[in-house]
Amino acid sequence: MPPLALLVPIALPILGAALVVLLRRNEGLLARAAASAGVWAAAVAIVALWLPVRSTEELGLGQLGFGSSFELRLDAVAVVFSLVVLLPAATLLALQPRTWQESTVAVLGVAAAVMAVEAGGVLLTAIAGCTAATLAVIQLDVEDLRAPRPSWAMLLAAWIALAWAGVILQVQGGTAIYAAVPVSAMTVPVFALTAFAAVFGSGLLPWRGWASRLWSRPSLRAAGVAVATLQPLGLYLLVRAYELGDGRYPHGYLHLMLAAWGVLVAFGAAARAQAATTRREYMAEVLPGMAGFALMSLAVGSELGLVAALILIATSAVIAVCLPLLPERGGPPSLLVAAAAAGVPPGLAFGGRLLGLSAAFEAGGGMGLIGLAGVATWLLSAAAAARSVGLPAGRGRPATETFPGVAAALGGLAVVAGPALGLAFVAGASAAADVMSTQAGALENGVSSIVTVSTVVPVIALLGPLLLMGAIALAFAKPVPSVARSESHPPLFKLYGSALYSRIAEQVRAAAVPGEYRSLFNPGALESAAAGGAPLLWLASLVALAFAVTR
Amino acid sequence: MTEAAAFAAWLGGAIIVLADGRRGLALGLALMAASLAVATFMAGQQVGAAALLAGGIVGSALRYRSGPEGWGLMQPGSTPRIILTIVIGLLSLYLALSISTGDGGALRFAALASIALTSARLLQGADRAAALTAASALALALGAASAIAPAASLSACVAAGIVAAGASTLSVIEPSGA
Amino acid sequence: MEPELAVALPAAGAACATALRPRPRLALGLGALLGAGGVAAVILSAPGAASDLLGVTLSLSAPSRSMLIVAAGALAFVVILAPQNAERSTLLRWGLAGLAGMAAIAVAPTLDVSVMVLLALVLLQVAGQGRRPYARRLRAPALAVALLGLALLFARMPGPPALQKLGAVGLVAGLAAALGTLPYMHEFDPDEPTSTSPIPWIAFVGPLLAVVVLTRARELLPSAGGALGAMLIGLGLINIVWGCVASWRTELGAAAWRYSFTADWGLALCGFGLGVSEGQAGALLILYSILLGRLPLYLWSRQPLREKIQTDRPINLLVAAALAGSAPFAGFPARILVLRGATALYWPLALVIAATLLLWVPSSLRLGRTMGMPTGRQLAGIAVALALSVALGLYPQPLLSLAGQ
Repeated sequence: MPPLALLVPIALPILGAALVVLLRRNEGLLARAAASAGVWAAAVAIVALWLPVRSTEELGLGQLGFGSSFELRLDAVAVVFSLVVLLPAATLLALQPRTWQESTVAVLGVAAAVMAVEAGGVLLTAIAGCTAATLAVIQLDVEDLRAPRPSWAMLLAAWIALAWAGVILQVQGGTAIYAAVPVSAMTVPVFALTAFAAVFGSGLLPWRGWASRLWSRPSLRAAGVAVATLQPLGLYLLVRAYELGDGRYPHGYLHLMLAAWGVLVAFGAAARAQAATTRREYMAEVLPGMAGFALMSLAVGSELGLVAALILIATSAVIAVCLPLLPERGGPPSLLVAAAAAGVPPGLAFGGRLLGLSAAFEAGGGMGLIGLAGVATWLLSAAAAARSVGLPAGRGRPATETFPGVAAALGGLAVVAGPALGLAFVAGASAAADVMSTQAGALENGVSSIVTVSTVVPVIALLGPLLLMGAIALAFAKPVPSVARSESHPPLFKLYGSALYSRIAEQVRAAAVPGEYRSLFNPGALESAAAGGAPLLWLASLVALAFAVTR
Repeated sequence: MTEAAAFAAWLGGAIIVLADGRRGLALGLALMAASLAVATFMAGQQVGAAALLAGGIVGSALRYRSGPEGWGLMQPGSTPRIILTIVIGLLSLYLALSISTGDGGALRFAALASIALTSARLLQGADRAAALTAASALALALGAASAIAPAASLSACVAAGIVAAGASTLSVIEPSGA
Repeated sequence: MEPELAVALPAAGAACATALRPRPRLALGLGALLGAGGVAAVILSAPGAASDLLGVTLSLSAPSRSMLIVAAGALAFVVILAPQNAERSTLLRWGLAGLAGMAAIAVAPTLDVSVMVLLALVLLQVAGQGRRPYARRLRAPALAVALLGLALLFARMPGPPALQKLGAVGLVAGLAAALGTLPYMHEFDPDEPTSTSPIPWIAFVGPLLAVVVLTRARELLPSAGGALGAMLIGLGLINIVWGCVASWRTELGAAAWRYSFTADWGLALCGFGLGVSEGQAGALLILYSILLGRLPLYLWSRQPLREKIQTDRPINLLVAAALAGSAPFAGFPARILVLRGATALYWPLALVIAATLLLWVPSSLRLGRTMGMPTGRQLAGIAVALALSVALGLYPQPLLSLAGQ
């Protein structure tokens, strides 16, 4: 396959967007088909590019002019993350009706996200990632200007931080290309900037950040695509950071800090989830919680942890499709999706969490303690999932946006695919090998069992019977009647301070100076002083400059 | 002679600062043009001097024909302007002769004082005629200043002459509504 | 011969357009033809090649040439996709006059002649009909000429190094006064016609003037390079902060636009002040984005500003993103280049600059809304401006190569 073919997964969504604009007068099926076709075709192209070769492909097209060359690279990590971005977006674009403007912006955002993943260097990733973030914000604003959305300034700050990290790599190491950066250039400040970009670019925050608040929007069309596009990008940066550092982060304590942050993110999500008063509030914490576990696993620093993180990221992608398609009411679809996300055995999320925690315990020391915290968080999130079954519906959404059957099917798939954890592990391990050198004997690839340093996980033998038992239990289960808000189970613990924090935040946002206040900041007054009347400011500036330079 | 020319340049600039009528402005411009031309000539730039003189004389003649009537010299309330011209003269003298070293002190003083005086006149927010005269004089001063670097001053002097003459062709009547 | 034609043809075009004012279509056609000829002369000229046709050595440096080409391009597409209620022949007339002046400044054999041409441009501009009193319109640009002249004088005076530093002060202050950035802001009347307002200085003539002055400054003031750079960076940072905050908080929309130019110039001045090639490239990119993006968008916003229309449609949000320097628009790689230069020089400076980059966001959202609901020609113009910005943002190498970077 010629290297130029690497452009195809980026070009196809752009072509799809162009078709949407051309077909904008037919805002129904045709435009929607064009949008989703472009993204589906990109996903197919990624697989078609990778499968025949199954090794890294590169394309270099010369200097772009800002110190970076146009380098694209498709390795196993890029394949995983591209599919994680493309497949949920393609599904949502195909199913949910949206205006042609929303479709166009959404598809362009997906193209930018794919380019960020395929980029061969830090700077190009920063540019493409910033583009994806900007388009996501625009998409959200186009849908509903007044609904919650990520702070654009915060997203911009994240990608500027990554760009600065790339710049420092260029200055200190001579290059910012992932495969060529010398290990010595990956210093703590560079990593700190990358981690900042990852955390804030993806909304991986222990408090209720944009990744949770998005789900309180009246419509979840744009929210679904935005989360599916942006959240994986942050985790992608941390995976690439391993490549920059030759398999590890610049310092051991960085692994600990990041893993602790991941557990805090997961715990914060779980705590809010268990205190949720409606099903929508619970669903808002599902993806942040999974992302927290993925971050924790990723930060362990071992190949097992990295593979576990990749499995969790892939599972999150499935859940990211399900959540926007779920109706507000309860029923089997909500149950299946909640179970899949909470890590109920034998689901993929269960397997991923299990492996991630194993990695943490294997690492020992402080990481082991973090693993313990992870276990407690998992139990809390499982309790929250169980409680969510009896929660009342939220505010309601248009029925045209919901596809409970599809959501149920995908949620069920995420659960029944548990016994195939071995396959997922093999795929993840080959991706992990791109960024981390594998030690002989550390992991033995197996489909029926996963052998780690300290244990053997009999995947089929353990999870197969669990699947059977779960299916039998589901078959004999009776539907839970919907309950009024006052009758739902009380939370395990109340979030003391959350109401107070929300009140304070609201008061800060609504703060305004009294009408009688006259600000010192008065551009017009300065302009009048500078340009009108006596030119004293000009002369004073001249004298000040002369004094400053002649000292 | 160069020193006398330098002093005359300062005097011409001072007249432009202090005059409000077209005769005073024309006199100041003509005096400044002549003195800067002499100083430039003495610095070895004969053609440049001719260009400055020609531009200044044409500009002065045009100014004599348009603008407020009379001389308008030292109108009531012009004490601050007088002080300003003296201060500028003294400062320019200090910079040109004491701080700066080497030959050509007179030309440096003339250029420095002329630029400073004409800038002061422009910053005063004067009416059109005075502002345009100050602009013409500024052009001449910049042309003379370029003679300090002999390597490339001819084109600057010619350009200065053209701008000085051209500025005086512009209308001095303020359009209504402005 | 090309440098001479680069000045003469646009000047002739402006003169014809002025003479043929009673017949706007003929003025437009003839002016456009002559202007195109002038641009062709610029494109065909070899950077640095001297021409002695008039007995004076004229030449065009690579950065100046690229700036002229970009300015001409901006003029062309503003005239073709002229804003509502704007007469094309008037736009072309003023634009060609500015272009001729810019070409003269660029090809001039010495900085003295460039300053003289600048004075001529100042006088021609203030001769037009404006709302502000004549003397007030003349003050700041004339001060710029005087300060630049003083700078040249101090640079040539033999004596202690302090004179060179005073020369640097004059140069920086003169440039700031010419552009209208802090602290030498020009008075701004939002209802004044654009041609006689401070906007042409900060957005059309200013970029080329800055390139010419700063390119020659380092030859003129060899021992004051550090002082020059420090002043540029200091003023740059002040302009970034003031420009961004004022653009966000000021009451009038037109004034907000003016301050947004100030903020962009702040970043450009920082880039120039860094003294390294990346900083210079970043500054050039910002100036290109001013010419091709911010200036045309400002012109198209004037009608909606008068009608007090503000909307939040996708096009307004895209404009906001472009103005904020977000990727994939031209501002983002410019910021990368400036950050790279600052990091190479002194990393705490890069930290300060990086922190200020977020200040563009609130003002840009505001400015994006002022585009109103564009339709027809205006919508096409905005789309072209955004497309150019994306092209420059993703692949600025051709223009930077044109500028010799």
